Parts: sequence; C-alpha cells; structure tokens
Amino acid sequence: MSIKQYGVILLLIASVNLKAQTQTNNSSFLDRTEFKVGYFGNLLWDNGLNFGAEYLWKEKIKIKERKRGEKTITHQLLFNGSMGYSTNFSNKTDNGLSTYLGLIYRRTNLKGRQLSLEINPLGYYRSFLPETYEVKGGNVSKVRFPGRSYYAPSIAIGFGKFRKAKKRSGSYFNLRYTIRTPYNAGALPILSLEYGYRFNFKTKK
Amino acid sequence: MSQKILKIFSILLVVFTLFSCTKESIDLNNLNETIIIRHKNADMPAYVHGNASEKVFLILLHGGPGGTGLQYRLNTIKNQLEENNVVVYFDQRGSGNSQGNYSESDVSVDLMAEDVLALTKVLKAKYGSESRFFLMGHSWGGTLGPATLLKDQSDFMGWINVDGSHDPKGVYDRYRNNFTNVANEQIALENSVSYWNNVLSLVQNVSSDYNDDDFFKMNRESNKAHEILTQDLGLNQENTDVDNGFTYNFFTISWNTTKIQSILIEKGLFKDVSYTNQLSNITIPSLILWGKHDMNVPLSYAYEAYNNLGSNDKELVIFEKSTHSPMFSEPNLFANKVIDFINQHK
Repeated sequence: MSIKQYGVILLLIASVNLKAQTQTNNSSFLDRTEFKVGYFGNLLWDNGLNFGAEYLWKEKIKIKERKRGEKTITHQLLFNGSMGYSTNFSNKTDNGLSTYLGLIYRRTNLKGRQLSLEINPLGYYRSFLPETYEVKGGNVSKVRFPGRSYYAPSIAIGFGKFRKAKKRSGSYFNLRYTIRTPYNAGALPILSLEYGYRFNFKTKK
Repeated sequence: MSQKILKIFSILLVVFTLFSCTKESIDLNNLNETIIIRHKNADMPAYVHGNASEKVFLILLHGGPGGTGLQYRLNTIKNQLEENNVVVYFDQRGSGNSQGNYSESDVSVDLMAEDVLALTKVLKAKYGSESRFFLMGHSWGGTLGPATLLKDQSDFMGWINVDGSHDPKGVYDRYRNNFTNVANEQIALENSVSYWNNVLSLVQNVSSDYNDDDFFKMNRESNKAHEILTQDLGLNQENTDVDNGFTYNFFTISWNTTKIQSILIEKGLFKDVSYTNQLSNITIPSLILWGKHDMNVPLSYAYEAYNNLGSNDKELVIFEKSTHSPMFSEPNLFANKVIDFINQHK
C-alpha cells in the first residue's frame, strides 16, 4: 500500500471517529469544540497559516486547598485536528500542506495559563511543486498536479492563555517537531512554530 | 453561526486560489522559471534564469555533495552570465530543495549523472530541441560533470571545470602532499609560521591510508588554510554577502547535505571514484578555471585535467588571487572567461 493510500485511510478513520462522537453527543459538539487559526512556519524561511479544531474528550478538575485559598487545576484531553499551509516566498520549491491528527493534553491553572503537550501520530504532508516533467527512459511527460505525499507524525509543546466565557477563548504558542518520511533516502525533521487564537461557538446558557 | 464558518472558509479559499493561480508569462530575453525534473523517484528543482533568445543554456552543477543550485546566483553569474545566456541552477538529488522517495542503495554518482542528462531532456522538451547546452561543475560538480559527459556528451557544446575534482579517490593523498608543500613554502616566507607548523603536524599524524576521520580533518583544515592564505598573501575575499540566506531553509539543506554526503562517502566516493583515465574520452571543448591557492581541490588537479581531457580545444585559466571559488573572488575575470568560451563555441 502506498503512503498516499495509507494517509487517506488514516484521515478517513479519524474523520469517522469524530463524526461518531458528534452523533452520540450531538447537542454538545460545539460546546466541546474550540477552533483555532494562526501563524504557521519558522519565521525565516517558511511562512503560512494554520487552522484546526480541538474537541474536548475528557476533563478533570482538581481543587487543592492552600493557605491562600483554593487552587484549581484543569486537566484536559482533547482530540486535535489541524491543517497548515506554508511556503517559502524566495523560491517555489518549498510549499506544502500539513495535516495533523492526534491528542492534546492540556493543563490550565486558575489564572488561565496553559501548558499543552501534543502528539499527532496521524500526520500527512503534501508538497506542491511547480511545473514538473517526468523523464522515463527517453520520454519526457508533464506531470499533472505535481507534488509528493509524506507520512508526517509530529509532537508539540505549547503555551497559552485561556479566556473564560469569551468567544475568542484563548491564544497559543506551539513549538512543533515533525518528521516527514520517507523523504529522499530517509526522513526529514522539521521544526515549526504556531502562534494564534482559539475561538468557539458555544451556546450561551 | 454556520454563516460565520462559511465566511471564514470562503476567505481562506479565495486566498488559497489567489496564491495558486498566479501564471507568469514567458519572456525569452529574461527567463525566470522554476521547473522540476522527476527522475527515478526524485523531484529536483531547476531554477532557470537569463537570456534565452539564443536558447543557450549553461547548466551549473553545485559543489558538495549537498550544496545548492541557487547559492551561485549572485555576483557576475547573475549580472553578466544571465545577460549572455540562460543559467540553469540545479538542485541535485538529495540536495537543496530536492525531494523524493528512494532508497540509499539507489543513490550513486552514476544515477546523479543520469539526473543531469534527464535535466537536458526536459529543457529540450520545454524550450525546443534546438537548445544548446554547456555544462559547468564546481568542486564536487567537477566530479559529477565528467561522470555525466562520459555517459553522453552529444548534447553539450562545452565543459567548464571550476576547481572540480575528476579524481575524488586521489584527494586524500593530494591533501597530504599539498598541505606539506604549501606549509613549507609559507614557513619559508615567514607567513603564519605557527599555524603552518600545526598543519605539518596534522599531516604527519594522519594515516597514510584513507580514512574518513582524517579526510575530514584535512578537508576542514583546507577552509581554515584559505583564510590564512587570503590574509597573508593578500588574496581577494570571496564576495558572497547577498541576501541568499532566505532562499533555502538552513536546517533542511544542512540535513540533506549530511545525508547525501554520508551515502556517497559510504559508497566509496573518496576511495574508489576516479575519472582520470577516462578524461581522454571527453572530446568537447573544455575550459578549466582554477584558484591558484585552492587547498580544497589543489591546483595539481587543474593541470591533470588539462593534460588528460581529450578535447582539441581546451584552455586552462589560473586565478592568481583566488582559492576554491574564483567566481566569488575574481568575479569579473571569471565571467569574462566563461562568456568568451560560450560565445566561441555556442
């Protein structure tokens, strides 16, 4: 099975999974989901946009008694799905669409400061290439929709700020490490940054 | 709410469409195109710039292995050569922004030479079969160039070797000899005596048989030696201070360089590969350009290339004020020699 087929199947499984959860908990899907949009790239060479969604799967609130009052820490596990496009404007040979699917663990303190750890075993990267010609033997043919597909799992660590009861419910800053494979004769590690805002469409109660 | 989502997606779709639908018109007098050569599971960029009115293409093979094509697009290569003809800056397999999916066992100098021939086929298909080609190799490109021409030189009007090694197998021994000779010369001239004494110690302590560690010790030392010689002998500084730093992702190209070098070295690049005995089979006009004080690929290679190439029409030019990259240290003389050669043989 090619990497392309493998990636498509993984994405389908993930989308079916999210859909199933939506159906069992239909009324609260939007209440449990936050959307995010922001910068995606590494500032110096590749720059782009990222958007996605985080669906709250499990949540545990711990309240500790302290001398100065209660300390509330929220631990969350969220399903993560995001998609980012980045390009290097200095050339036309470093463009691509990244898709990440996985889990986020997030810790939020009383002041709304957040620490996130993200693991996305289901990652897919599609490069977009300019005019491409394939040479096979003595024949040259133009390639339609040139580009390549790579399996691209990633991990990320992030910091953020939660805004309670606001439409724009927070901001985030993530440092992401992705592996694209198989890439050339091995794999290619990629470091990227994400900075953006989360927002929600929760119904007011 | 759903209208809001629809609005956001519509905006993103419009932005994406705008980025993806830009089409540039082709101006043959000032070609500015990027095309990808897909060959044997690799997608390799060719950045095509310059005056294509006569359809004369100079294909530039970068150094390394693992350099980048566009690192050469500066100085007189950009300002003068591109006005005379088209320059094709090629990211070789596993280098620059090349990508693909192939195994280490597939990679070889032979395959990379076939990639270059594939590039000429694409250029002919795109710009017309009347296109004429010159091949220029710098450093490692001087290995890949002969490898390519020995496979098929029929499409090329000329070969330009710039400080390139046709005999990687011999580099190890030549480092030892050249370092010893240059160190003794410089000590006699009382130039940076303590540095050159250290170099003599280094050379005396390396193994007499090839090994990777000692090879890279001397290879790294050659760069340091260039700095010392440039300072002591008043050589020209290499002018590479243009804003090329944003062209390639530094981490990507560093990773690629390490990978492709390790594969080729593992396969015996510096132990087994030599084209010295086959240079006589290269019969197209040849121009050999060399920095007199090159410690990386010593000057003895220039004479050997000149003496062994099979061409009846060949010229050797030595750049008195240069080390390994005369295109950056004596850019005007470099451009003049290359343009004269191309115009004479096109």
